[in-house]
Amino acid sequence: MESNPPLTEALFYILLVVRKPNHGYGIIQEISKITKGRLVLGPGTLYGAINSMLSKNWIKLYSEDKASRKKKEYILTKDGEEIFYKEVERLKELIQNAKLMEESL
Amino acid sequence: MKKFRLYYDKDEEQDWLQKMAHEGWALKNYFLGVYTFVPCEPNEYIYQIDLLDNWSGDKEDFSDFMEDSGVEIISQWYRWVYLRKKASDGPFEMYTDTESKINQYNRIKKFFQVTLVIEVICFFLEVTAAIRTGSPIFWFFTVLIGIITLAFLRIVWKCNWKIQQLNREK
Repeated sequence: MESNPPLTEALFYILLVVRKPNHGYGIIQEISKITKGRLVLGPGTLYGAINSMLSKNWIKLYSEDKASRKKKEYILTKDGEEIFYKEVERLKELIQNAKLMEESL
Repeated sequence: MKKFRLYYDKDEEQDWLQKMAHEGWALKNYFLGVYTFVPCEPNEYIYQIDLLDNWSGDKEDFSDFMEDSGVEIISQWYRWVYLRKKASDGPFEMYTDTESKINQYNRIKKFFQVTLVIEVICFFLEVTAAIRTGSPIFWFFTVLIGIITLAFLRIVWKCNWKIQQLNREK
């Protein structure tokens, strides 16, 4: 598999919160909640990210409730999960190496 | 209240709509340069302007998504959409990270590049006609199209500049 560039914060958090089925506004709120309001995604940013992740098959459509309201829910795919964990590995390495700073002091 | 304006720079247009909202005038409709405003509480709304990717394909998908996020689509003209949100619901910015801002300016740039090519072709047709016939009407249109062409060139240049600035922020 090709090596992926680091995920943007937006992509990282979207992948994280669609581990359970979630819809557009739910994703924005959930991310805001777990980052204590630090990261509030613009709806345009989220819309673009979702479409690009759908085309890369990182996430897929979970349901399209046509009867009640036209709310589309999304869910993480195997590929998306793999991408997420690869990023976590990279972040772990950063944290691990950050300790070198403390050791030298 | 109706106002006639010709904007080709969405940032300037957005600032103007925001200024109008600040003065208690909310945009209700846009069509071919005619902006229809209705009274609102000063600063009741925050406005954003966006350019859609596809002109027919995902229009509905986009508007459903925005409505679900509490964003109101005021008006749509071709691929351009006018959006707003109540200011009391907190800040409203369509694009919040560098990547998506760059994508938006790239879309706008491409849009104007295509239009620019058409304008340049029209310009040369007009020049040819003007020289051949010597008619003042053709010269008038030559100048007019020339001005439009320059305006579009400026936008493409401005988009490039913004994209460069954003890339530097990364």
